[in-house]
Amino acid sequence: MNLDARRYVILTFILMVGIIYASRLFYMQVVDDQWVLRAQEIAEKRWEISPPRGVLFDRTGKKIVSNRTYYNLMMVEADIVDLDTAKFAKLIGWTREEVRNRFKEIVRGEGTYYNKNTHKRTPNYQKIRAYPFMKELTLEEVARIAPHLDNFKGFHEEITSMRSYPYANGANIVGYLSEVSQEEIDEDRFYKPGNNIGKAGLERFYEKELRGRKGIRYIVTSAMNNAIESYADGKYDTSALQGPPLKLGVDILLQAYGEKLLKGKRGCIVAIEPLTGEILALVSSPSYDPNLMIGKRNISMYYPKLLLDPSTPLLPRPLASEYPPGSTFKLLNSLIALQEGVITPEFGAPCNKSVVGCHNHASAGNLEDAIKHSCNPYYYAVMRRIVQQNRKKNVFADAEVGLNRWVDYMKSFGLGRKLETDITGLRPGLIPDVAFYDKWYGHHRWAFSTIRSISIGQGEVMITPLQMANIAAIIANKGWYYTPHFVKSIGSKGPLPEYLKKRYAKIDTKHYDVIIEGMRRVVYEPGGTGRRALLKDIVICGKTGTVQNPHGEDHSTFLAFAPMDKPKIAIAVFIENAKGGGGLWAAPTASLMIEKYLKRKITEKDREKTIIDAVFSYMR
Amino acid sequence: MRKGESLVAHMDWPLFASYIVMLIIGMATVYSVAYNEEHPNIYEYSEKYGKQLVWLGISLFLGLIVFLIDSDIYRKFSLPIYVFTLFLLVIVLFTPKINGARAWLGIGTMGVQPAEFAKIGTALLLARFISTVNVKQQNIQTVLIANAIILMPMVLILLQPDAGTFVVFTSFLFVMYREGITYDPLILKLINRIPGIRFKETWVGGHFIPILFVVIILSVITLLMSNEVLEFSFLPNVKVPGFYSVVATLFLISLIFLIFLRVVSARRERGRATLVVILGFSMAAALSSVVNYGFQGLRSHQKDRIELFLGMKEDPNGKDYNRNRAMAAVGSGGFLGKGYREASVSSVRSNHVPESETDFIFCPFAEEWGFAGTFILVALYMFMLVRIIIIAERQRAVFNRVYAYTVAMILFYHFAINIGMNIGFAPVIGIPLPFFSYGGSSMMSFSVMMFILLKLDSQRRDVLQ
Repeated sequence: MNLDARRYVILTFILMVGIIYASRLFYMQVVDDQWVLRAQEIAEKRWEISPPRGVLFDRTGKKIVSNRTYYNLMMVEADIVDLDTAKFAKLIGWTREEVRNRFKEIVRGEGTYYNKNTHKRTPNYQKIRAYPFMKELTLEEVARIAPHLDNFKGFHEEITSMRSYPYANGANIVGYLSEVSQEEIDEDRFYKPGNNIGKAGLERFYEKELRGRKGIRYIVTSAMNNAIESYADGKYDTSALQGPPLKLGVDILLQAYGEKLLKGKRGCIVAIEPLTGEILALVSSPSYDPNLMIGKRNISMYYPKLLLDPSTPLLPRPLASEYPPGSTFKLLNSLIALQEGVITPEFGAPCNKSVVGCHNHASAGNLEDAIKHSCNPYYYAVMRRIVQQNRKKNVFADAEVGLNRWVDYMKSFGLGRKLETDITGLRPGLIPDVAFYDKWYGHHRWAFSTIRSISIGQGEVMITPLQMANIAAIIANKGWYYTPHFVKSIGSKGPLPEYLKKRYAKIDTKHYDVIIEGMRRVVYEPGGTGRRALLKDIVICGKTGTVQNPHGEDHSTFLAFAPMDKPKIAIAVFIENAKGGGGLWAAPTASLMIEKYLKRKITEKDREKTIIDAVFSYMR
Repeated sequence: MRKGESLVAHMDWPLFASYIVMLIIGMATVYSVAYNEEHPNIYEYSEKYGKQLVWLGISLFLGLIVFLIDSDIYRKFSLPIYVFTLFLLVIVLFTPKINGARAWLGIGTMGVQPAEFAKIGTALLLARFISTVNVKQQNIQTVLIANAIILMPMVLILLQPDAGTFVVFTSFLFVMYREGITYDPLILKLINRIPGIRFKETWVGGHFIPILFVVIILSVITLLMSNEVLEFSFLPNVKVPGFYSVVATLFLISLIFLIFLRVVSARRERGRATLVVILGFSMAAALSSVVNYGFQGLRSHQKDRIELFLGMKEDPNGKDYNRNRAMAAVGSGGFLGKGYREASVSSVRSNHVPESETDFIFCPFAEEWGFAGTFILVALYMFMLVRIIIIAERQRAVFNRVYAYTVAMILFYHFAINIGMNIGFAPVIGIPLPFFSYGGSSMMSFSVMMFILLKLDSQRRDVLQ
């Protein structure tokens, strides 16, 4: 038995273990990176510091959306010592049952981990972690509770920032914030559960600007989850940066006034500064107080109510409601006919009520008077000339050519497509084209007589009040516009570049004067349909519309700009199911808005009172 | 000691140097891991590094005393020393439990663990016993006495209970194997009862211990790797099941051996050695696959039991929790490490890895120094172990040789198990990493053990065989 050789067995054994261990260490430390990630998971934490959101100012510099400090009452179960539930419940104004239930609720809700890969929720409650016990307390509430928290170990208050709306107006413009959804978190790593995100209006459209930049601190944590030190002495830390302030073109006082005028009615007002395309006011009625939609507590209380309200206060009507434009559409058809050369300003047509109904007025001998009287048979004649230009022998093929040209003009007015306004919830409206009618009636199965109701803005044509106000601005500018927009400056920068691009309607400037003169006559000449818009020292040019619709009484609408020589405001008013035509409700409303904006005071007190006091039957 | 010669004249400097280097690295690691900003001074006694420094001083002082005493005393007094350590092991059983075990014997905060010193006592007596018997005529009685010397402290340690040290005592089996005291006589007695069979020795009986340990280690590693999938960052879409990596590693090692054999072995032995390596590889691979597929084929509750025992199961509060975190700390070190005192996972303050200054001290070291550090550490241990075996083999006295082997094997066990549990190769049983882990008992016992060896070696020429 050679025992001396056994030393090699033992040596081999030892060296083998050494080699295996060295290889394993090489694999673990150099090749396999799962342990680095695991170590980060264990020991490194990113602390995100959310900056306050950017604030919003109106065109006069008034702060219309600002931030307000709120408090959360946080709870760390591991620190709770002999909680006197009865006393604690009394302090926070809850019942003992509610306090006990809240503990269970936290374990089931906030204390779970959602795995977005498997879509499974797994318990992740940790006694050493802080969870919000009560959320979104106001300063008054926390001032009552905080001094007594010393007696209840394990509870402390924590500051959070939330929105506040000093003017309580323009809810459909600014929108609201709400907690991010899981999809939004998956889409953008910026968000963490519990963060807020803009869900509607400007808050949503300018979310990326308003949210600012999160500050990130990398820290090394201990097993008890408390911070030990900055990671790498803060080399990789970034500071939080508040989002830039947004200055809006909106005049908040005008906005508030518009909301006051439309109380008790369904409808909308859109006012635009023609020179810049800045939206001065965008009233949707009925609306809601934006302060109702601050924080989870409020949203869960009010949102369902607002959502189920039959008068749809959450709907931004000026952007999303599509109405037939009614007689206001005649302005565009006039312009197109002039541009096409199928009529001259001296064109006259009899008011033949056998073709289409009209109110009693003398037959229009020229275009201005046709606008003044809003003569329906006249516009049938105009439209026939646009659609049937006798370019093709076949009447159907001819109508196709004519309609194609007409659609082309309409599109250049920003109709039949979504305007690129800086807000969400826009609708395109509808300008029926050849394809539309082919589908509706069949190829070569329609001609002017089939589609003639579009000549007076009825039938298939649909338009949003925003588009309508934009038409007023285009006429005021005699042929061009900037896309209507809300934000005139982002921090120190101007508006988004697309709002600095001049866009043109395909109508020569020279054709507008006749139309504008006609619009003046609507308001200032006897027999005009918009006499109730008359102001003594400001010349308003306007056009009424009385929109037949299947939902009941006619809508009352008015499109206008003022002053005539140097337009400063273009406006569209829509009042739903108003008894009486555009002249009765929409025209005076528009004039009040114009006066309010240009003169800052109202001279027509009776007119104001009539409008404000009117409460339509459907709102009662 | 001859006259006129200095005390350290014949000391083995390479071994002593590697011991000192380890002490320094160990001390630096304890200082780093337990660092407290309020007491940055390493001499601060209220902190663990201050205490460790005191233990280190005491250990070196004990080493000096050991060096002053004539080496013959250890041979002569081996039985009383053994009995004394057994006595301490009995006494400790009557102390109150600390952390679930009666392992501490102490005054105030200065406690010692008798189990650590029992290793020395057992080593000395085993060496003494083996040096007195004629191994050529070994019989059942020799085997039983040798086993009894080991078993008595083992039983007492199991009563504490201290599973880690208990396992370490099996290292003596390797020493017995080296000295030819194997279970062969027992096996022969059984086999030779069969009529017609008359063996003088059996290969299996003779090499029973290493075979057994290879089987155990290979099985444990196979089991631990059976649920793992290896991925490589530079080879996406390549996933290697853990079992294949075990076989691949075995294959690589065999290949290295074959090349090694071609270089060093004599021509006439080459064929046989090659055959042995190939056979060994085949058997190891076969064993590994039997264990792997056998384990996969087990029913779930049986699997659970094995997984729990080996610490493979996801148990957030159990042993795997420690193992997983320790592995995260080690693995996150990268090639060059995070830098001294930059261990984010395994520092005492962060406390993500419990016991990171004692049983898991390899973690902060690996995290701070990366593979560069761990490779040097493993190499340093290999150097020390190989050096001790070289020293052992140059002794004239059997006593010295046996003792040297016990030191090598005990150190090897601590090394293999301690680092193994940091890299997922060994179940989590708490034993210290020699010269590194915070704690007086292990520091003193390993130092005394080392100095006795150095002393015996320095006087090896005085022994007449």
